[in-house]
Amino acid sequence: MILQEAKLNAEKDVVQSIEPLDPARRRLLAGVWAAYGVSLVPWALAQPALDANEPAFLAISSLLTGRLSLDVAQVSRLYTALVADDPSFPASIRALLALISERSIDPLQLQSVLDTEHSPLAVLPRRIVTAWYLGIVGEGERARCVAYETALNAVIVEDVLKPPTYCYGAYGSWAKKPN
Amino acid sequence: MAELSSADFVVIGSGIIGSLTARKLVQAGASVIILEAGPRVTRGELVARFRNSPRRGDWLSPYPSAPWAPHPVYQPSDNGYLVQAGPYPYAAEYIRQVGGTSWHWAAHAWRNVPNDFKIRSLYGVGVDWPLTYDDLEPFYQEAEEIMGVSGAPNTGSPRSKPFPMEPVAEPYAMRRIRERLAPAYEVVTNTTARNSRSYDGRPACCGNNSCQPICPIDAQYHGGLAADSAEAAGAKLVPNANVYKLEHDEKGTIAAALYYDPQRNSHRVTGKTFIVAANGIESPRLLLLSASDKFPKGLANSSDMVGRNLMDHPSTSLTFDAEEELWLGRGPQSPSSIGTMRDGPFRSEHAPYRLDFTNISRVDGATKSLIAQGVYGIELEKRLRHSAAHELNVKNVLEVLPDPEHRITLSSEKDSMGIPKPQAHYSIDEYTRKGHERSKQDFKRIAELMGGSNLRLSKEGDFANNQHICGTISMGNDPKGSVCDQWGRAHDHENLFLASTGVMPTCATVNSTENGLALALRTAQHILAEQAGARAPASTEPRK
Repeated sequence: MILQEAKLNAEKDVVQSIEPLDPARRRLLAGVWAAYGVSLVPWALAQPALDANEPAFLAISSLLTGRLSLDVAQVSRLYTALVADDPSFPASIRALLALISERSIDPLQLQSVLDTEHSPLAVLPRRIVTAWYLGIVGEGERARCVAYETALNAVIVEDVLKPPTYCYGAYGSWAKKPN
Repeated sequence: MAELSSADFVVIGSGIIGSLTARKLVQAGASVIILEAGPRVTRGELVARFRNSPRRGDWLSPYPSAPWAPHPVYQPSDNGYLVQAGPYPYAAEYIRQVGGTSWHWAAHAWRNVPNDFKIRSLYGVGVDWPLTYDDLEPFYQEAEEIMGVSGAPNTGSPRSKPFPMEPVAEPYAMRRIRERLAPAYEVVTNTTARNSRSYDGRPACCGNNSCQPICPIDAQYHGGLAADSAEAAGAKLVPNANVYKLEHDEKGTIAAALYYDPQRNSHRVTGKTFIVAANGIESPRLLLLSASDKFPKGLANSSDMVGRNLMDHPSTSLTFDAEEELWLGRGPQSPSSIGTMRDGPFRSEHAPYRLDFTNISRVDGATKSLIAQGVYGIELEKRLRHSAAHELNVKNVLEVLPDPEHRITLSSEKDSMGIPKPQAHYSIDEYTRKGHERSKQDFKRIAELMGGSNLRLSKEGDFANNQHICGTISMGNDPKGSVCDQWGRAHDHENLFLASTGVMPTCATVNSTENGLALALRTAQHILAEQAGARAPASTEPRK
């Protein structure tokens, strides 16, 4: 499945005229199914995309992170950072999304499939998941933090833990059994 | 020379030891100048740097090396400041900024156990200290009252007065470890410079779980607070003053400290007494850099012992998944230990050790590990929660014996200021390796008692370093075998004192800061008593 870019571009003006909601409250229902052939257009239209490839990024993000709902502000932020780190990123995610969708590859098998086939796309999943889960984009000297307390690895445990540097609670509250 | 200044005491280094030594002297009425190589940095800046760091697991990442006062940095790549001569790398981490390295400590404020002071006499290994536990006891107490130390009395170190504070509330995970390991092991609460109530204007811990690299609320004591208190007491602190040489007169008395400012202009500071408190690497480096025609091997070095007997605490560890959900990361990072292997007759055969349980959140580490394994999709979230809830880690903290071949020397390479870099010669000896072997029995038993699965021992042959730099300017009674006497006075120079964890003749099994600080407070007391004594004849004259 390849994104219907032309259609998206044609409707961009409409998309951008939609009054944005409070960014902190906007969450996109991306849907893992999106990667398996269902049109991305309906939900993509609900948001002002900065780039026509953002919906592809959203679809692949949803698949790799295992999250049906992703924060829309974070989608844009991470996408922008990933493109800045690698200008070929948009083309690569389109290719990866097409591959996954054509062959219905399970996310849990994806890395080993790409590694076994020596695919040039093999570096992508880790980049995308690292961006979402750790909030880090780029490697080595180029690495930078684009999310911390909103990184998914903080969000996923927020019912039990606070991100380091954030106060856990009143003195001694950590002595209780977590529930 | 751009500026001339002078004081009764010139202290080189504004870390917790230098600053609190300066504070004690200035409180007694002396004039004190503290020269600090690095910049001033605020707590708020450090918290922001940590949160914005792409390497949260690298505790040096909020503390970049200043071009005019470099320190070792290893990530994302080694900056090459601490040259490694081998055979085993000594990847020391320390911070050159106002307040020094204890900005990012775990606040473990341990006393030794009494036998740590006499392992040569008792066990035939290492050396005896030139003083006893009882000699140091009042200064441990003094250090604990300044820092605000909380703890329980069941750690093998006798006390003449109670701890300033009750132990910090035990995290649930540590309670379960204590309960499940009893009676096979007694798990004790660590002695820490961490507030269990408001103390000295600072709040109780609220469980930020970022003690390393930075406590965001100053619930734990650190060198930045020590430097503030020295300045508040009247010491003059000069930041960005990288001391590169001590000058002496024809009698061998230290006359001046020369430092570079960031533009590499040289400045000269004179004083009556000099105290080198620039940690266990920069202190011997400065003494070696100060070589002259009269002292060709460097200052305080007629024994050739400056830089030698480098020690630290190597660690190996076991990570495993506990049977029950424990969720490390609630409360302070490093709350509990097992001390049963800190002392005993076995010390004649192998290294003693403390067993240390981490309470650092496993979330970032587990995330990286799962991503590295290619675990994506719904399974990633599920496995991440499982690891964050179940993963435990226990490490040993092994004693290293003094060995003259383990040492800091001057490299032929120069740093960014044109000063020879420090160079480390280090290895892990059989005594320490045997301690590691012995501790594996404990690791296994602990995992069994916790119903552990998925046991992962740290890579065989790899020893993590704990950044407790000791021994390089050791004290001792014999001027041929040590650098300074029990008061920290250099054997070779009457007005030169050394205040650092580097003066410790052995490193025992606990974090070195409180030992180094107690020794330094004893040094300051001695200097003040001696000077009062020197003035005494005048005061005995009849008043007019």
